[in-house]
Amino acid sequence: MKDDKITYLTDVALITCIVTAGRGDRVIKAAQAMGATGALVYHARGIGPRERLGLLGIAIEAEKDVVSILVASDYQDAVFEAIYRAAELNVPGAGMAYITPVEKLATYIPREVLERVSSQGRTP
Amino acid sequence: MTVTNAPVRYADYLRAIGAGRREMSYSAILLPAGRDARGRPVPAPATGPIRLHPDEILALLRPYVSVRFLDQVKAVVPLALYLALFQILILRQLLTDSWLITGGLFAVILGLMCFMEGLKLGLMPFGELIGHSLPRKSPLPLVLLITLLLGIGVTFAEPAIGALQAAGQNLSPERAPYLWALLNPWSGALVLVIGSSVGLAAVLGTLRFLYGWSLKPLIYASLVPVLGLTLYGASDPELAKVLGLAWDAGAVTTGPVTVPLVLSLGIGIAAAAGRGDSGLSGFGIVTLASLFPIIGVLLLAFYVAGTVTPAEIIAAAASLGEDTAVLAWYQRSPWVEVILGLRAILPLVLFLFIILKLVLKEDMPRPSEMWLGIALTVIGMCLFNLGLTYGLSALGASAGSLVPAAFMEVPAATGSPLYLYGVGLTLALVFAWVLGFGATIAEPALNALGVTAEQLTNGFFKKRTLILAVSFGVACGIALGLTKLIFDLPLVWIIVPPYLLAAALTLVSSEEFVNVAWDSAGVTTGPITVPLVLAMGLGFGNATQAVEGFGILCLASIGPIISVLLTGLWARMQAGLQQRAADGEPVAHHAQEVQSLL
Repeated sequence: MKDDKITYLTDVALITCIVTAGRGDRVIKAAQAMGATGALVYHARGIGPRERLGLLGIAIEAEKDVVSILVASDYQDAVFEAIYRAAELNVPGAGMAYITPVEKLATYIPREVLERVSSQGRTP
Repeated sequence: MTVTNAPVRYADYLRAIGAGRREMSYSAILLPAGRDARGRPVPAPATGPIRLHPDEILALLRPYVSVRFLDQVKAVVPLALYLALFQILILRQLLTDSWLITGGLFAVILGLMCFMEGLKLGLMPFGELIGHSLPRKSPLPLVLLITLLLGIGVTFAEPAIGALQAAGQNLSPERAPYLWALLNPWSGALVLVIGSSVGLAAVLGTLRFLYGWSLKPLIYASLVPVLGLTLYGASDPELAKVLGLAWDAGAVTTGPVTVPLVLSLGIGIAAAAGRGDSGLSGFGIVTLASLFPIIGVLLLAFYVAGTVTPAEIIAAAASLGEDTAVLAWYQRSPWVEVILGLRAILPLVLFLFIILKLVLKEDMPRPSEMWLGIALTVIGMCLFNLGLTYGLSALGASAGSLVPAAFMEVPAATGSPLYLYGVGLTLALVFAWVLGFGATIAEPALNALGVTAEQLTNGFFKKRTLILAVSFGVACGIALGLTKLIFDLPLVWIIVPPYLLAAALTLVSSEEFVNVAWDSAGVTTGPITVPLVLAMGLGFGNATQAVEGFGILCLASIGPIISVLLTGLWARMQAGLQQRAADGEPVAHHAQEVQSLL
């Protein structure tokens, strides 16, 4: 029987990480190692402090990879830290990352996962 | 019983009864994997495979498969329906083995679907990878050598080549000995010659990309030997029967494997040399690849004629007929198609793999996906071959052998001739014309060419115009080919004048139109049109007692060249007139308008 109820997932956070073009892959690898199921990468052009740095601005690429990852908010700090280290955001000009709270998320959830969740809910 | 008067928001009510929704925390569906050093929960890495239930797998695959399946259905079914309806309504003949033919058509659809998808997943990335990185790592002569070898390899993999070989089996060695010899004992050499010609064309086309040569001199330079050899061949009555095969070989080569693979390699080389897309860079290879095989096959025919006499061939054919009374299992029907399919794809894959490993020393990106693609290509090719034998070829042959019943006596059709000679002949020609038009207008490659043409001419030559012009040309070509079969006209008188006309038109046309027009000839002859038209031509030839049924395909490729060139000239004239009208004095223009109103 097809379940026509929408399952909303709550307590979700969106981590967005902006890095130099070509370095998005290492961010995704780090996030996957921390349990993130998927990621979306945009290619973008960044404009910001680069222009105010004078000639030093040439060291910062304007081409960026923007990686968005949805994670459970329980794990957001752990994933965020992993991303921060993988992207080496502690270096000047490397990029930035931020967390946005997400109200709800709905998608197809594999039945196997749903069954596991409901059986866990019944046992206690 | 108390009734509360406090208002309830509808949204709160819905949430309270949980209509159509439920909520859970995202972390509930993730597997926890303990805590990190600072005591925070850490999820398990999301790298393991995801397991799905069978119905979920079905839901995932259905949209993916159905789109591809319907693409092929759209190409095959209308044509098959047209052929079947024509037989039933006009010729009043029932289809023989209709279930077998339906099954065969289904196999064609399924096979083409698997083949195309496998090509996209497996062979194309291979070709692109090699085209992209080969020119950077190797000197130009080695690159050109590999292009040549690739041209040979892709020709073996071309599904339409199989159709050409299959067509040779029902020829009689007594009436056209050289033709029979080329298609039977020499068939391996024939494909090799066609392949080398395609390879040479690929090399020349790539050089053209690199140095930005104009296509016109190349066309003239290859037309001279083509027409010269044809005229020489026509002077010998035995060799004249081979001409149709030679010209058709050119049309057959430019199919769904050759064009994209050779193009991706050529464009990769041009891009690596810093001469990227000039818009025209994709063109030319297809044209040369449809002219060179004619030269190759004619030369091979002359060589065969020089080494063996017709009497020897007939003797060999007779002894062969005795030998093959009992065929080994691998020569019988379901297996021979499977083996043909394997033989077509595997050498090509092996060749690409060796280049990748030995010359480029690189690994395949996404190997499992590419292996799946290659497996799909092989399965698709085998299915397509099976479908070709039982479906398309059978349908084409039965239509070909029955259509003449409209105007002459055919033993297979009761009550033939069905109509008066003139009426029946017209019906048969109209049938061929509509078949050509319908088969071409549905060809997906033509759509792509139309888009390119529209971009090349800045929208001045519409996609629709091109598709109509090409379809019209093909339809006229096929009808002309049928006329040739009915009246048993010598091919040389039908094929040489149109090519001379095309050469003259090429001289006065602009470079863009020359490129589009000559390439449109190769594009029209796809994997569905070729076996259908070939089988129909051969069936028709048998029924009308013609010596051989070849030659229709090559007329179907000269047709669009002329029609597109003419359309291009006409469009340019129109544009010129508009320009003159716009440039002319507005007052005079106004006065003219008033006059025309009066």
